[in-house]
Amino acid sequence: MFITILKDVALLSAIGVTLAIIMVLAQRWLSNYGDCTIDINGKREITVVGGNSLLSSLADKQIFLPSACGGRGTCAACKCKVESGGGPILPTEKPVLSAAELAAGDIRLACQVKVKSAIKIEIPSSIFNIRRFNAVVSEIIDYTYDTKGISFKLSEGEKIDFQAGQYVQLDSQPYKGVKQKVSRAYSISSKPEISDSLQLIIRYVPEGICTTWVHQCLKVGDKITLTGPYGDFLIKDTDADMIFVAGGSGKAPIKAMLEHLAVAGCTRKMTYFFGAKSTKDLYLTEEMHSFENVFPDFKYEPVLSHPDATDNWTGKTGYIMPYFKDAIRDPKNTEAYLCGSPGMISAVSKSLMEYGLAKDKIYYDSFG
Amino acid sequence: MDISAFVLFWAAIFTSNILLTNFLGMCSYLSVSKDIESSFGLGISVIFVLTVTAGLNWLVYNYILVPFDIIYLQYIVFIIVIAAFVQFLELVIERYVPALYYTLGIFLPLITVNCAIFGVSLFLVIRSYNFLQSITFAAGSGIGWLLAIMMLAAIRRRLKERLVPAGLQGVGISLIITGIMALAFVGFSGIVQIQ
Amino acid sequence: MKETSKDIRIRNRMMPGAITLNGFIGKDKRSIADIIAADENTLQTLQKTPEEIADRMQYFTDASFSTFAGNITLDDIYDVETEVTRGKLSCPYAHGGQFRKSVTKLTNTSNNVTVTWTALNIHLIKDHHFFEGKGSTYRTEPENLVKALF
Repeated sequence: MFITILKDVALLSAIGVTLAIIMVLAQRWLSNYGDCTIDINGKREITVVGGNSLLSSLADKQIFLPSACGGRGTCAACKCKVESGGGPILPTEKPVLSAAELAAGDIRLACQVKVKSAIKIEIPSSIFNIRRFNAVVSEIIDYTYDTKGISFKLSEGEKIDFQAGQYVQLDSQPYKGVKQKVSRAYSISSKPEISDSLQLIIRYVPEGICTTWVHQCLKVGDKITLTGPYGDFLIKDTDADMIFVAGGSGKAPIKAMLEHLAVAGCTRKMTYFFGAKSTKDLYLTEEMHSFENVFPDFKYEPVLSHPDATDNWTGKTGYIMPYFKDAIRDPKNTEAYLCGSPGMISAVSKSLMEYGLAKDKIYYDSFG
Repeated sequence: MDISAFVLFWAAIFTSNILLTNFLGMCSYLSVSKDIESSFGLGISVIFVLTVTAGLNWLVYNYILVPFDIIYLQYIVFIIVIAAFVQFLELVIERYVPALYYTLGIFLPLITVNCAIFGVSLFLVIRSYNFLQSITFAAGSGIGWLLAIMMLAAIRRRLKERLVPAGLQGVGISLIITGIMALAFVGFSGIVQIQ
Repeated sequence: MKETSKDIRIRNRMMPGAITLNGFIGKDKRSIADIIAADENTLQTLQKTPEEIADRMQYFTDASFSTFAGNITLDDIYDVETEVTRGKLSCPYAHGGQFRKSVTKLTNTSNNVTVTWTALNIHLIKDHHFFEGKGSTYRTEPENLVKALF
């Protein structure tokens, strides 16, 4: 009886173990793709361990394709050209590719394509300058009731090489009810001359995953990661007059530009219009006014559209457009740099063009 | 059993349809039949899994369970074999046909607990089929299952759900349709009797 | 009844923390198909189609985009304000649609009904007939929308 039980149990276990061994071997053989080479733009070849997505394989080698959804296949930011080795188009990619891209057949989502064999891809060369950085929060300043300035110190020995006006993608961490990481874009608000740390100006957006994390969870000393630099909202190297228009957190790239110009030296005529609702939206006013002593011809013009009676605001009121007249001396030799919502940019561009500015001299970093 | 394998094959599809006559394998049948393409993919996987596991289980039963006198462990052993095989199949599909892998999603591992698979393995034991009979019976059952799910998927696609009373929408009306299809299949029952 | 893998993926994208902080489902335990069916029934009794509602919402949003600060009053009774934040959100149905992050608040001063919606709401209502689950931040009951917009 006892022997029978032992025998039966032993047999059952033997069957189970045999199957388990077969499964392990199958896993090794089927899921193991060995080392695969990725040929980039025909110029560079890297070798990665096969079986992972193209996005993460490239990221492991410090090549960062843009991604806002963290590889879940919804944001379509990681589109790239896969010339060969990508396998068939997956159902998770089809919904996000346009009809033209599907017809071309070689545009794929890097986060869905798995590297299983040698693969040849083509990506824009500006991607090579983008890196992932580890940093620590070094300072949090409350600029207004809903805007904070967060300074990050990069890890020992790391330096970020960027131009004023560019932005980075900050990775949020899981917190409270949010289990996933996302990454969101914020303009760098510190000057490029400081390369071992940077500052971002982040406004709290009520339904925002990242800004809620920043405003409610982030503390000095916390470790974060970010990638960058991205973007082409840059100051043109001419001697034309400049008009800056940016309200709210749009001040960030302008602040970076002005701080950089203060170091590099600039004799151009500049005016910065900061449009806001009331005095509680103003911040860094002193620093902006202090630039008037640094540059030979710079004016900071905060304009409030709905100042509270209790504010005793004696400055300009209403919208900024009527005040352009005094800031433009030669419309043909004036450039404009705008940062804000599409509505603001279109209203301001229209007004600037009515004053005679050329459409191609109006540069903007549009939110939407 | 003296029935020829060929007759068993056709009987398994029509007169003794695993789903419409024996009502096995209903769960994934009801959920996946919303979409015709997934239904087809799932049906093909079921045919494949059924045929191979029936063969494997027949071999295990006759060469391991019977000689070693552990027939009473057949339930556990059959399930272990089915689970291992489906897992193996998942690895193969992920490697060679990734598109199908993503389409089926969670339903691929769910085939393991599809009672049609287990049911067929038990039927071949109860009815003492030989190896060839087992394989053909299983293949036929798979094709019968595919037939049933494709029919329901096609009907659901044409069904104007908003005309169905609120309480019967979704599963309710699907079960009624399945019942009507089963009644229709009863019409085949006189042709050959295998159960 | 289990949802297909496609439905499960869509529902996961609608959960809090996937695309937006509080997600699109709120506390609703019904399947997405059930939520849509219930709202479609309500709309039938109100005699408006989701497309009509979405087009009207788009009309107001576009009008408020034309001004500098994003607010405008139309027809004397519609006060509209829109705020935009940087970036784009993808639709949880994952068909590649990317939508600006705009929040529009409309107050109908003739009956004092206020409704709030996002650019993604307009798309979800028009193309997916989805008004979001009960308890989610940007769900507006179809009756309120019709009262405010028309």
